[in-house]
Amino acid sequence: MSAVNVVTRELERLEGLWEDGLSDAYRSYLDAVGRFETADQPRLALAAALIEVGVRLQGLGSRAAAAPTLLMGDLCLARSSRLLADAAPQPVQVAFARAIEEMSSAAASERPAPPTRDLLLRAFEAR
Amino acid sequence: MVGKRLRFESKNPTEFVDITDRLRDEVRWSGLQIGRVHLQSLHTTLGIAINENEPLLLRDFERLLERLAPVGAGYQHDDFARRFDIALDEPENGHAHCRQLLLTGFATLLVEDGELVLGRWQSVFAVELDGPRHRQLAIQLDGQFGPPRAKGAGSTELVDLELSRQLMVDPEPVSAPMRRLVEAGGKRLRPTLVQLTAGVGPRTEPLRAASLAAAVELLHNATLIHDDYVDESTHRRGRPTVAAAEGPERAVAVGDYYFAKATRLIAEIGNRSVTSTIAEALEAICASQIDDVALRGAFPGDHDSYLRVVRGKTAALFAAACASGALLSEASPEIVDALRRYGDLVGVAFQMTDDMVDFSPSSGKPVGLDIRQRVLSLPLIYAAEDREVGPEVRRLLAGTLGDEEVGRVAELVTTSGALERVKGEAHALVDAAVHELETIELDGLRPILISLARSAVDRNA
Repeated sequence: MSAVNVVTRELERLEGLWEDGLSDAYRSYLDAVGRFETADQPRLALAAALIEVGVRLQGLGSRAAAAPTLLMGDLCLARSSRLLADAAPQPVQVAFARAIEEMSSAAASERPAPPTRDLLLRAFEAR
Repeated sequence: MVGKRLRFESKNPTEFVDITDRLRDEVRWSGLQIGRVHLQSLHTTLGIAINENEPLLLRDFERLLERLAPVGAGYQHDDFARRFDIALDEPENGHAHCRQLLLTGFATLLVEDGELVLGRWQSVFAVELDGPRHRQLAIQLDGQFGPPRAKGAGSTELVDLELSRQLMVDPEPVSAPMRRLVEAGGKRLRPTLVQLTAGVGPRTEPLRAASLAAAVELLHNATLIHDDYVDESTHRRGRPTVAAAEGPERAVAVGDYYFAKATRLIAEIGNRSVTSTIAEALEAICASQIDDVALRGAFPGDHDSYLRVVRGKTAALFAAACASGALLSEASPEIVDALRRYGDLVGVAFQMTDDMVDFSPSSGKPVGLDIRQRVLSLPLIYAAEDREVGPEVRRLLAGTLGDEEVGRVAELVTTSGALERVKGEAHALVDAAVHELETIELDGLRPILISLARSAVDRNA
């Protein structure tokens, strides 16, 4: 299945986000997934992009989003979790979860978190 | 009479596998008070013995068997040229068959006061004579039974310990609100389902099962924290919600933290099928939450929309809990699928019962909370469709819902027969769930799973 088809299929119910920063994030993560199987690369890049967009939608670390937007953010995180379960090696799954733990722990403690993209790019390096 | 199979894997050509503790557990889980446990080997190279579990003595037994029936001592059974219909992988194991003849293939043990009757030095062994292999013993428990102790008995404590352990290592700003929620109670149905189904297959590992069960409970609670913010709920389990007590920003962060932590704990278990099963359920929950909120514009909605939302919002995690436990124990795909369907049906029935509890004055919660919060509710849907009370219900729901209107809607629902209709539907779903269990081998778990399914609908709180 081509990368375009993979992404299109995985955007169900989240199509509106593609032009709202998700496509840019996806493209930037594509550069970081070269070491993985070719077939897995689009899903892994999309998983990272969904986390980046999801926590932004939720307002994690800033003002909490209104209910419908929070739920869209939740769906982004859940979709990302499923993509990682399907395509990522176990150390990468664990590293992504730890990245979200770090962001949300910082938010709950009202201290600044490291930039989301840096955290997620680092997670791809886990072995 | 309870019949089941006791499965294990031997590791050596000759091996004394001590099955005493497993038999003791079976007796406790079955509830057998006074009676007998009958054991029967299902193999011609697997014996049964009752003796002392002392390593040097076991070595003596092995040597005795070796002397009496040495390997390769010219057994006619090993002369494949003279035999018919032999498998390609037929082993030369005449010695093992002969050794089995010296042992026994069956035994009966007595049970008194709910415990196996064994002497101080007696242990029960399955004696492998041609290993390593997958093995099974047939067992039947016969006599007078009392209430069974759940297979997770003792392991609910394991889950609570695991939850405490996990919360202890987390930063206080996230752990304190989650600890309050976890300690406030909850039915713990999902972790119980994980633990029960984790005993179905050949690989039984209580600690891994407890770890998975605790992660599933954390995940469930994480979704509740976001739900409460979305629903603007002020209380849960009798305590202020995280959003109400500490603000929505904290609620978002705590929910995210435990969503991530739970998925990490599950990933660390290292079973990809389990990870995918839970991840798919989580996705279904989140998608259904969006539908749930969207449907509030058409409150109270219709039966089909209700089922679609409830299947995702509630039943998905019940189904995943059942399937993931079974997957962890390496149960067969047929068993995993049947348990997944069982969990789905019980989950929907559980939610329908929750809807009815909203109209029960003895539930401990204010009547009509779902009406006030415009939450999807099957009794409301049925009352709104009712020929007699429907027009008034719909008119009231379309307006502002103060105490008086909520009270009147609750009264109309109660008098309309909607509650009886929902109750009947929930019980029919439980019957269907029980039916799913009839086609699979459940290693004695069937009565507990049936009892759990019934308890999901026979409650008023």
